[in-house]
Amino acid sequence: MEVQMKDVTMQFNNITAVDRMNVTIEDGELVSMLGPSGCGKSTTLFMLAGLYKPTAGEIFFGDRLVNKIEPEHREIGMVFQNYALYPHLSVLKNIMFPLKMRKVSKGEAEELAREMAKLVQIDHLLDRKPGQLSGGQQQRVAIARALVKKPKILLLDEPLSNLDARLRLEMREEIRRIQQEVKITTIFVTHDQEEAMSISDKILLMKDGKFQQFCPPQEMYDHPENEFVASFLGSPPINLFPASLMDNLKDVSISGTNDVITLSSPLKEGMDPARQVTLGIRPEDFYIETDEKKQGILGKTIMVERIGRDNLLNVEVQNKTVRAIVSPDLRIERGDVVKLGILPERAHLFAVHTGENLLDSKLR
Amino acid sequence: MQREALSKGFVYTLLIIGGLLMILPFVWMISTSLKAPNEVMIMPPKWIPDIFHWDNYVTAWTMAPFARYTLNSLVVVIASTIGELITTILAAYAFSRINFYGRDIAFAVLLGTMMVPGEVLLIPNFVTLANLGWIDQYEALIIPWLASIFSIFLLRQFFLSIPKELSFAAKIDGCSDFRFLWSIMVPLAKPALITIALLKAIGSWNAFLWPLIVTSSENMRTLPVGLTSFSTDAGTMYELLMAASTMIILPMIILYIILQKYIIEGVARAGIKG
Amino acid sequence: MNDTPTIGKTLKALLYLAPALLIIGTFNIYPIIKSFLMSFYTDYDYFKDIVNERGLSNYSYIFQDPEFWLSMKNTMIFVIGVVPISIILSLGIAVLLNQKIKFRGFFRTVYFIPFVTSVVAVSIVWRWIFHTQYGLLNHFLGFFGVSPIKWLSDPQMAMPALIILAVWKGLGYNIIIFLAGLQNINQQYYLAAKIDGASSWQRFKNITVPLLSSTTFFISIISIINSFKVFDEVFALFGGQPGPANSAQTVVYYIFNKFYGEWDFGVASAAAYALFIVIFILTLVQLYVGKRKVNY
Repeated sequence: MEVQMKDVTMQFNNITAVDRMNVTIEDGELVSMLGPSGCGKSTTLFMLAGLYKPTAGEIFFGDRLVNKIEPEHREIGMVFQNYALYPHLSVLKNIMFPLKMRKVSKGEAEELAREMAKLVQIDHLLDRKPGQLSGGQQQRVAIARALVKKPKILLLDEPLSNLDARLRLEMREEIRRIQQEVKITTIFVTHDQEEAMSISDKILLMKDGKFQQFCPPQEMYDHPENEFVASFLGSPPINLFPASLMDNLKDVSISGTNDVITLSSPLKEGMDPARQVTLGIRPEDFYIETDEKKQGILGKTIMVERIGRDNLLNVEVQNKTVRAIVSPDLRIERGDVVKLGILPERAHLFAVHTGENLLDSKLR
Repeated sequence: MQREALSKGFVYTLLIIGGLLMILPFVWMISTSLKAPNEVMIMPPKWIPDIFHWDNYVTAWTMAPFARYTLNSLVVVIASTIGELITTILAAYAFSRINFYGRDIAFAVLLGTMMVPGEVLLIPNFVTLANLGWIDQYEALIIPWLASIFSIFLLRQFFLSIPKELSFAAKIDGCSDFRFLWSIMVPLAKPALITIALLKAIGSWNAFLWPLIVTSSENMRTLPVGLTSFSTDAGTMYELLMAASTMIILPMIILYIILQKYIIEGVARAGIKG
Repeated sequence: MNDTPTIGKTLKALLYLAPALLIIGTFNIYPIIKSFLMSFYTDYDYFKDIVNERGLSNYSYIFQDPEFWLSMKNTMIFVIGVVPISIILSLGIAVLLNQKIKFRGFFRTVYFIPFVTSVVAVSIVWRWIFHTQYGLLNHFLGFFGVSPIKWLSDPQMAMPALIILAVWKGLGYNIIIFLAGLQNINQQYYLAAKIDGASSWQRFKNITVPLLSSTTFFISIISIINSFKVFDEVFALFGGQPGPANSAQTVVYYIFNKFYGEWDFGVASAAAYALFIVIFILTLVQLYVGKRKVNY
């Protein structure tokens, strides 16, 4: 089912937790709501669930305005961070609980519950109590309980944050698999950008209650709307240089150095180009420039670390550490002065005050 | 090493002596209750009677209407325990899960009234019950004890420790508040509820001053009140007095030994909270 | 569901609270006010609940009544006798129980037994133990050459007898609270002190006692308050009398007697309020000192 938020706002006392959110999530999509803690993503999810009522704005499920509709009538399933399984009920009883509340006959409820348990691969654990299960298994039970009443929307609140690293990888694949099998609109809250990047169709990025960007993960990574989006995604994070845009609106000079970079993408049209800018380069968009005549950023290597196929260099530029992921073919030692070249169309340029991305991207 | 063994031995000796002093009165009570009248008042005392006179219990039981006293005590204990559990569950739910106007003030006032000693309430409560025509009725023995601020406080603390997400999940599953309370919260709070019920049952079984004041006819007396009047009648027939005392004391000791975990934890938790 | 109070939630809460509030309001809160008012009723017909006259004479009566002062004095003696003995004994036993010993649970169970028993019934048992001629206590004291003591008929000895009974009865409760307090003390302090070469007595004095001070304080106040309210023991131990020559007449006994023996509700209420004031002050002291965290 399609989910639409129109100017949705949530205020707690005087704090605006969510500020005029306008987003449309299409039917069958898996959307991650991403952002640092306290950015309002869980609040947004709770509003979709009906556990919080928005102070302003409208929420539509399909064509139906749901603002005044109680959670139990919204046709949603929800999985909580701590799973919220009923500790005194067996796994089977936990999964059957929503059906029991809907007065589904016992036999039918049990059949549906067993079917769902099979889907999430816990059909061998039905007689156990939640306390006897591992974190991953509890997670599966919680998903089964959320899905058993065949909801139209599945909401997950930081479902993986209580799991250890290995299980987290496994469970996120599982969530993806189950979601694609049931083809249900799924909204998933997380603060882990890697998690969001790996499983979602689209990411909704928020900060301080404000919408930042909503698009497929790769697009968000390649074409961030602003400096915050750029720096929130990616590990190691994007390198940011204070710089100034020169009069020709093509060259950027990096402050405190003699290095000048010529942009390969055009500026956005109709933009009043601020001259004080921030240049952003992702570590993997650097290469070692050996041609003395070509442009690049000069710096002294302070650390070389081999990570898998690549080398991670820490290079000192203007007392700041710049990280670059480069091919190991060229031997570089600690102490070497290197020139970091930038792959074409990979530079990002942000206005200092607004953080807005100044470059035009062909995709948009 | 040797010194340590010596001090360990010292610790055990002290604890055993102390423990003996604690249970000796009960041993002595049971021993006396089984003696023939001519074995009671002798020096040096005899610990094990020649023949166990179980008939002392029958004699005591029939000399005063102990059957009636026991029935009354059971009625009062069961009714007030069940009633208190119900009022406590409902009130603790409101105080822990519903954010209503004046909640914190109301709770503070209730806690504040716990400071007032029960003796202050005795006289006005007697007048209230007299006006209601309940003196010397079960109502007087039961109804004032159907709610306890202390129990509400204890259960509220327990309810607060149950994660909020559980009620969210239940809400999404289509479970009403009232149903959530009875089918999720109450089963989860079972240990706390057992503690509350046990402390209540023990207190109610042993209560003396209140039943003494609100009962006047023999038919309405509870066991402790009945025992004091029996003690006047029995005078120095200590074997009968001890038999009657055993009948009151032993059920609580047995209950305690079976369920001591709940009682001791409850006392310790309430104590630490202050 | 948003966590702000609304009219609807308040109505719902009232529904949940109604049964408890009805009982508590009628039998806990109303009588607090009522008994205060009653202490000023100097001419009162309780059957018809008609007050003919109000005044301060109930208070002036009790403050001039030597019997009231006697019961205050007796109660004080009882408190001073019970509280320190009980605290020292229970602290000692709790410390012993807190060591690495076998059967700890068993000992704890045994010490707590008296607490769950009927005061009236155990008082009657102790009446038998205190028996001058054939009582167990005098028999044991005989081993140490003590000649038989008239525990229950000698006005000098009635109060000690009452104190022995009260200490025995209440010991288990204090031990449980002390044990809970002891288990809250981080074992590392003891290890550190051991490394510094502190003997077990020094460790007790320098770690246990100061770190346990808030527990000790809590127990002291609770014990004092409960001791101030002693009644059941007196009634049962002395067969409904306040001891030989009123030697065990306590404040609650005085209230009981004025109320139930003489049907003088005004005087009884005034005495009850006097007791309340004493306990109230003690509670305030507890709250005040408790807030300031004793000793650390």
